[in-house]
Amino acid sequence: MEIVVCVKPVPDAETRLRTAADGSTLDIEAVKFVLTGYDESAVEQALLLKEANPGSKVHVVSAGPPPRTEEVLRASLALGCDLATWVEMPPGVAPDPVSAARALARAVAAVPHELVLCGKNAGDDEAGVVAGALAELLGVPDYSAVLDLRWDAAASRLRFQRSTEAGVEKWEAPLPCVVALQQAWNDPRTAKLPAILKSRRLPIAKVPPEAAIPATGTTRPTKFELPPPRTGAKLIEFKTPEEAAQKLVKVLKEDAKVFP
Amino acid sequence: MTGPTLVVGELHDGALSDATKEAVSVAQSVSGKENVVGFLAGSSPRGPAAGFGRCGVARALVAEDPRLDGVAGAVVAHLVASAADSLGAELVLVGGSTFGRDLIARLGIRWNAAVATGVTSLTRTGASFEVRRPVFGGRATETRQLEGAHAAVALRPHASAAPPDSPGEVALTPVPLDGVPASFWAAKRLSVEVVSRGAGPSLTDASIIVSGGRGVRAAENFRLIDELAASLGGAVGASRAVTDAGWRPESYQVGQTGKQVSPQLYVAVGISGAVQHLMGMISSRVIVAINSDSTAPIFKVADYGIVGDLFQVVPALTQEVKRARGQ
Ligand SMILES: Cc1cc2nc3c(=O)[nH]c(=O)nc-3n(C[C@H](O)[C@H](O)[C@H](O)COP(=O)(O)OP(=O)(O)OC[C@H]3O[C@@H](n4cnc5c(N)ncnc54)[C@H](O)[C@@H]3O)c2cc1C
Repeated sequence: MEIVVCVKPVPDAETRLRTAADGSTLDIEAVKFVLTGYDESAVEQALLLKEANPGSKVHVVSAGPPPRTEEVLRASLALGCDLATWVEMPPGVAPDPVSAARALARAVAAVPHELVLCGKNAGDDEAGVVAGALAELLGVPDYSAVLDLRWDAAASRLRFQRSTEAGVEKWEAPLPCVVALQQAWNDPRTAKLPAILKSRRLPIAKVPPEAAIPATGTTRPTKFELPPPRTGAKLIEFKTPEEAAQKLVKVLKEDAKVFP
Repeated sequence: MTGPTLVVGELHDGALSDATKEAVSVAQSVSGKENVVGFLAGSSPRGPAAGFGRCGVARALVAEDPRLDGVAGAVVAHLVASAADSLGAELVLVGGSTFGRDLIARLGIRWNAAVATGVTSLTRTGASFEVRRPVFGGRATETRQLEGAHAAVALRPHASAAPPDSPGEVALTPVPLDGVPASFWAAKRLSVEVVSRGAGPSLTDASIIVSGGRGVRAAENFRLIDELAASLGGAVGASRAVTDAGWRPESYQVGQTGKQVSPQLYVAVGISGAVQHLMGMISSRVIVAINSDSTAPIFKVADYGIVGDLFQVVPALTQEVKRARGQ
C-alpha cells in the first residue's frame, strides 16, 4: 500500500508560552519544535500498517518554514518512514490550516497515495481542518476520529472504528481516502541512534509552495492571549477528612458557585 | 459581506443536537433572527427539522435520502456548499462536533471559505468576522480575522447557550442530491455502538469531571473516583498513568494524547499535574486538587487544594456531597 502521512512541527509540550512583540502570535524565539501528539501517532500508525502489509511504503510530507519542518521530516525518517517531501515555505510564514492543506495537496498529488494519514489535530492550533481540506483538494473521501485502523487485503477495504458523539462506529471503506486519526498511542516507537544518524543523510524532496497562497491564508491572527497566571491553589486547612470535605463543599457552593 | 447565515443541523437521539441549537443562537446574534436558515440532511429530516422552528428559525433546507444516515461529513459538505451558493450565504455555522469540524474543513476548499473550528466567540467586524478560540490545550487564546466573502465556522461545544424553546414554525424546502462524487458513497458504516457510560454524562460533555491518577494505586480503588463522580452527577476521567496501567480504558484519558475537556469543575485526585495532563484540562473553570504531596505541580494550577490522603479525603467528600445534595 502507498501510504502518505502528513505531519506538522509543533512547539514541545513543555514550552513556556509567550506572546510575540506584535501581540498577535506565539513568540517562537527559543521554542523547540517537535513531532508530537496525534502526528507522532499517525507516523506510528503508518509504520504499523506498513509492517502488517509487506510491500507498503510510507512517505512523510510536511509544509512549513525551515528549520523546523525539515527537522520533523528527519525525525519521521529516523522512525522508519521511507521517503520525505518538504513543501518549503519562507521563514516566518505560518499558514492557516486551509493554506497548509493547499500546500500539502501539491506534494501529495505528485506522489503515489492510496492512503493519506493525518493526526486528528495539531497540538498548537488544534484546528483539525487539514485532513478534510486535503481530501477535498485530492477529490477523495475522508474519515475522521479514526481508531483501530486495519487493511483487509482480501476484501480490499480499510476497516476502522470512529469515535464520534454517536458512540463507537464500525466502518469499512475502499482506497483511496484520507484518514484523520484519533488513535493516540501512549508508547509510539522511538528512533535508535544509528537511525537518527542515518536520517541526517537521507534525501528530502523539496516542493515550492504555490505562490498565490497568502502568508497566513484567509484567516489572519490578530491577537494571542495568555490567561492571567494561576496564582496557586487556596489550600483547605483541616484536622479531619470530614472537616476538609465540609470546607471544600462550602467554598464550591459559596465562592466558586460550581456545586451542582 | 451580506447574505443569510446557514446553520447546518446534526441529530442526536433523533432530535436536533444541543450543539446545533447553540449554533442557531450564535447565528441569530451575529446575523439577526430573520437572516438565519437551517439545513438538515438525513433519511427523514423533516420531523427533526421542526426543531429549527422551535429555536426561532423560519426557514430550513432539507436533503432527504436513506443513504444520508451515517455518511461522513464529506457528502454533506457538497450539499451544503451548493445550498450556501444558491442562497447567497455569507456564513455557514455548525455546532462543535466531529461532524461539524469535518464539514467546515471541506467548505474551506469547496466554498472558498475562511474557516475556523473550536470557536468560543464570533463577532462581526465591518465586512468580515472575528473569532476567538482556545489553542495549545486551552493554555492560550487566539483571535483571528476571517477574510474574504465566505466564512465557515464550527463552534466549541457549550460555549454559548441554546435559544429558548418557542412554539415557532419552520418552512422546509427540499434540496437536490446531485454533485456528490460517486466514490463518496462507497464507505459503509456497519454499526454504531453507543458507548455505555453508566448513568453519567460523557467526558467531553460533562460539566463536572472527577479524574483519578496513579495515587489511586489499583484498579479496584477506582471505585472511590466513580462514587465521588456519581455523587456530583459528573463524569470520570483518568491520567495516563491509569490508562497505561490498564485500570481504566484509554477512552478515560485526559490530556495531550487523551481527551481535551473544559468542565465547570475538574477534580484531580492523586494526579501530579504533569504538563501533558494539564494540556487536557487547564481550561476548566474551577480546578480542585486532592494530593498527599504539597509540592505536586497540580497545586500550582488548581483553585482549591486539599493536601491529604485520598483514601481518607475522597470517601468523606463523597458523603458530604451526598449530604449537601440531599441524596
Ligand atoms: C508524549 C506524551 C504524552 C502524554 N500524554 C498524557 C496524557 O494525555 N494524559 C496524561 O495524564 N498524561 C500524559 N502523559 C504522561 C504524563 O507525563 C505523566 O506521566 C502522567 O500524567 C502522570 O500521571 P499521574 O499524575 O496519575 O501519576 P504521577 O505523576 O505518578 O502522580 C501521582 C500523584 O499521586 C499522588 N498520590 C500518591 N498517593 C496518594 C494518596 N494516597 N493520596 C493522595 N495523593 C496521592 C502523588 O503525590 C502524585 O502527585 C504523556 C507523556 C508523554 C511523554
